[in-house]
Amino acid sequence: MQAGLSTKNAPSPNVILPYFSFGALSFLVASIVLLIAAPDLTRYYLSPRLLTLTHLLILGWITMIIFGALYQLIPVVMEVKLYSEKLAVISFFLFAIGLITLSASFWTFNFSRNIGLEVGGYFIITAVILFGINTLMSAAKTERKNIENAFIITSVIWLLLTVTLGILMVLNFAFHFISGSHLELLKLHAHIGFIGWFLMLVVGVASKLMPMFLIVHKLPVKLLSYAYFLINGGLVLLSIGYYYFPEKWFMLLSALPILAGVIAFLRYNYVAFSKRIRKKLDTGMKLSATAFIMLAISMVMGIAILIGPNFLGAMQTRFEIAYGILIVLGFLTALVLGQTYKTLPFIIWLQKYQSKVGKIKVPLPQELYSEKLAGYHFYTFVASIIVLIGGILLAEVLVIQIGAALMILTAALYNYNVFKIVFHKEKK
Amino acid sequence: MNLDSLTTEEKKILEIVRTVMDPEIAVNIVDLGLIYEIHYQEERKRIHVVQTLSTRGCPLGDTIMQNVEVVVSEKYPGMDVDVELVWEPEWTPDMITEAGNKAING
Repeated sequence: MQAGLSTKNAPSPNVILPYFSFGALSFLVASIVLLIAAPDLTRYYLSPRLLTLTHLLILGWITMIIFGALYQLIPVVMEVKLYSEKLAVISFFLFAIGLITLSASFWTFNFSRNIGLEVGGYFIITAVILFGINTLMSAAKTERKNIENAFIITSVIWLLLTVTLGILMVLNFAFHFISGSHLELLKLHAHIGFIGWFLMLVVGVASKLMPMFLIVHKLPVKLLSYAYFLINGGLVLLSIGYYYFPEKWFMLLSALPILAGVIAFLRYNYVAFSKRIRKKLDTGMKLSATAFIMLAISMVMGIAILIGPNFLGAMQTRFEIAYGILIVLGFLTALVLGQTYKTLPFIIWLQKYQSKVGKIKVPLPQELYSEKLAGYHFYTFVASIIVLIGGILLAEVLVIQIGAALMILTAALYNYNVFKIVFHKEKK
Repeated sequence: MNLDSLTTEEKKILEIVRTVMDPEIAVNIVDLGLIYEIHYQEERKRIHVVQTLSTRGCPLGDTIMQNVEVVVSEKYPGMDVDVELVWEPEWTPDMITEAGNKAING
């Protein structure tokens, strides 16, 4: 094999497809749960139904698809074969069982010991450890020591810390061995999960993929190194702060480097988008660009929350819920929706047509799904987020329900496309 | 890059290679500037195509190269078609032809 090629390194599609399929279905289920749980979104973020919703979205939808996509992307970014396909399959089943158990148990959770949560948590943590072994062992083989890889490896380490903290919190309900407020621990769990796992991973993967899709070279890579040290440094400070100094000034002090790191990353993307050769954006790239705009808005909201409550007054809780929704259902969902179209069709296309190119006329990867439907769900998605955020800030259940209905429509259209790709029949 | 000094036979091969598309961008690889050299060596029964890819680790890399080999071999049975991948000189968007630029945004 010639150096720098990765098709032969790509894992079997059978390893990847269950992740995408399960992820897409979780998104649909989570959208329905969002409609049912709409009244809770006007009150408080620690309700059983919202915990179900959050874990369905974060683990079932976003993490599931990221795991699948990462198994496919590791060969692209690191130029190595995946360490073990078998581990990836085992990890999928453990993760899926854990997620279903966890989501169902949260629905009836009464903030005391819950065996379902513990069992679900063990399954999840085992699946994540297997994922961690698989990615870190693959990374160990790479000869490409670059900033993209550093982001991916560090994000996996933060993910392991996030789930460890999650399971410690569940056990703490039974054994009360961690002193301090559960709410502060929950915030720490959410922030190391979001910033350490998702954000770091997004920066690492996006810095490789965006230039590739947009056709642009000579980007200011130094910005990514700044982002790496600023985000990690800030997150370490924030983690210490949540436990030892849960005071506003310290939180703000640790949030500033994170914010600066995100700005560096957003600046990198801005340069990529403005210098791109490929001016016309397909739905996948439009959704990705939208995701970065939502990330920028959520960062502003995050800082506003830190400066509050004097500033926000009675709006504080609603603002915090809106912030969470904008990150998970806005930023991360937009990115996953968009990047699905930039990865999944190629996985199937390579499987069905790789051996046929040049011999018979084959369709293009983008012809495996309906770009028109993808275009529709771009609009229903953006409308849904605007309506949801409006509904939460106004504490209007009906408005939130309309937003949720738009999200169900988005998820249904997206699922149609995902399964159209997955079940694509080969043209003879 | 010596595409300006191709022989008549090599120009023919270039036109055959022009039918190969980058599946992601949906533009042919000649206009994308991915083909660096073509050598038609009749006495050695060998066709040597030197090409690059726009990105290292490109997931579609071998498919594109295989496509080049298949289409050229089909028109030149009996010749040994050798597609070589190089990373030097590094590909830049400046290598895209005018027609390629139009096709990308068309």
